[in-house]
Amino acid sequence: MAWITKNSAGTQIERRSEPYLTPAMRKDLSERILPRYAVKQACVLPCLHTIQHEYGWVPAQAMEEIAEFLGLKPSEIIDTASFYEEYWLKPKGEHLIQVCRSIACEFCGQKDITEACKRKLGIDVGETTDDGKFTLIELECLGSCGSAPAALVDETLHENLTAAKIEAIIDQTAKSGAHGHGHGSHNGSHGH
Amino acid sequence: MPWTPKTTRPILTSRIPTPPYGDWSKRHIVSYDEYTKTGVVPGYAALRKALTMTPEEVTEEVKKSQLRGRGGAGFPTGLKWTFLPKPDAATGDGGVRYLAINADESEPGTFKDRLLCDFDPHLVLEGIAICCYACRIQTAYFYIRGEYHHQAKVMENAIKEAYAAGVFGKQGFFNGAATKNPFSNASGGTGWALDCYVHRGAGAYICGEETALLEGLEGKRGWPRNKPPFPAIKGLFGKPTIINNVETLAHLPFIIHEGAGEFMKQGCESSIKGAPPSYGTKLMGMSGHVNKPGVFEFDLGIPLRTFVEQYCGGMRGGKKFKGAIPGGISMGILGPDQYEAELDFDIGRKHNVLGLGTACPTVFDEDTDMVAVARNIARFFKHESCGQCTPCREGSGWLYQLLSRIEEGNGKSKDLDLALEIATSMGTMPGTTICGLADGNNWAIRTIMNKFPDEFQKRVKPTFVPVRLGGLAVGAGV
Repeated sequence: MAWITKNSAGTQIERRSEPYLTPAMRKDLSERILPRYAVKQACVLPCLHTIQHEYGWVPAQAMEEIAEFLGLKPSEIIDTASFYEEYWLKPKGEHLIQVCRSIACEFCGQKDITEACKRKLGIDVGETTDDGKFTLIELECLGSCGSAPAALVDETLHENLTAAKIEAIIDQTAKSGAHGHGHGSHNGSHGH
Repeated sequence: MPWTPKTTRPILTSRIPTPPYGDWSKRHIVSYDEYTKTGVVPGYAALRKALTMTPEEVTEEVKKSQLRGRGGAGFPTGLKWTFLPKPDAATGDGGVRYLAINADESEPGTFKDRLLCDFDPHLVLEGIAICCYACRIQTAYFYIRGEYHHQAKVMENAIKEAYAAGVFGKQGFFNGAATKNPFSNASGGTGWALDCYVHRGAGAYICGEETALLEGLEGKRGWPRNKPPFPAIKGLFGKPTIINNVETLAHLPFIIHEGAGEFMKQGCESSIKGAPPSYGTKLMGMSGHVNKPGVFEFDLGIPLRTFVEQYCGGMRGGKKFKGAIPGGISMGILGPDQYEAELDFDIGRKHNVLGLGTACPTVFDEDTDMVAVARNIARFFKHESCGQCTPCREGSGWLYQLLSRIEEGNGKSKDLDLALEIATSMGTMPGTTICGLADGNNWAIRTIMNKFPDEFQKRVKPTFVPVRLGGLAVGAGV
């Protein structure tokens, strides 16, 4: 007789009692964003942006809440969320360093920038520091080709970078203490 | 023969100081008040003029100017507008229809629309209003890429200012200025009722493809749609939709205020018999190995050499020119003997590249490794392929693997044939892919491999084919 070896159909979702989509967010979204569109599904991206901005990632529970809020199926939300790179479906560090690796940046010194970040943080591309402060990734074009190399640190663009410059930016960001993603209380290194 | 510009004053950048007319360091965000008082056309004067014309007259003027879309394809803007269904003859009611502004500028090398969003947002908003008037549209969505955090905020603020001034909103345009308003007898007769919203993308190159952009607006995966139906018939939320590039819309105030004739004095005629002309100025963003990169405004038709040497301070470190991508990596590459190429819409037919694209050249000097350039481009397309069509999804991955192998020195000469075969077959057979992404990948890799064959040959080992000689297997180099 066959038996189940994989629990893919019954994947557990980590839950917390406090909703991710807060009443204040619901109010803002229903008053300001929902009336803009002919159908509710068009609000999926704005809703996901709200969650991503607040918590630094999009937990599965938040996607369920968005689905309930917009009258959609949770599968429709994860379908969209998993397509777009800006949404993190797993927790990441408090601050996100995104180094552009596209054509103009790569041939104007991007490799030095990535190496400087790796050295400074002691991690490889795609990793998060042990203290959960920084995540380092490379991504495609930031639209800053005339001032290459460039990197996006949280939501701020830094251009004409040198190794020394990005190291100073990392120092400054670490010192600032503020969370890169809005003002959420979530620490990305360990889930709730 | 040295190239002489026809334009003696900046048009799109009249409020954004840009060499040779102004100083980069003086750039700032132009507010509503400053916008209405400055510029080659005083701000919103063109919209006031448009409102004294009928929508059809506005469309006709844009058609006459032969303005071609600035987003990469160069499709005539006025003609695109006429694809919308005809409005009701008696009431002028066109029903619900939308404008989607394409500010999803994500192609490597391209960074020109950003300049307008950064500094002169009202120029774009006035263009949006004129387009919506001409096309009887009451809702416009400004789809801006997710990485443009700052630009999205600038646009949001400008839209707020424009609402306060009555450009958008339902309270009447400029406190009810007299117009030949198509909205007064359409959709319940509420008068001028145009809404404009910013919709942020979330990091997907493919959403710059017009139907994928609509999917993104609808809250779905950015998967391009099969055409037909074309968006002008069935687009956003199933309604007729016009999709225009930011820079295209920014040209409209000048065309409407000064007339199509003035617009056609800039740019150039086509040197190919029967081909459409390249009128007007163009934002051109220079990047790569030059001394002073950045976004400039020139007449279409400026030779690449003039652009680099006269305006960008020449090649960095006095190095020699090796190649350039004319406008976004999907366009292919110009070889060392094509430095004189004129940047106009004929470039594709004259210089064996896909086209002008966004006219944002990325220039490479003599030290550049062209195999690495090809690998970088292949990686981009592998990363950004949406995965719907097999030739694109699989082909882009194969190309990246092959080119990485060649770059690392582990390639065999048969890999070159295979890479070229894949590149040549991707997207070329009509109907095998939904959108043009595979075609861009094809042109980029194919032109690099064909224009710099020696660099690829040098990097590969000969392929050994076992040959039987009297019972012994002997390797023979091919």
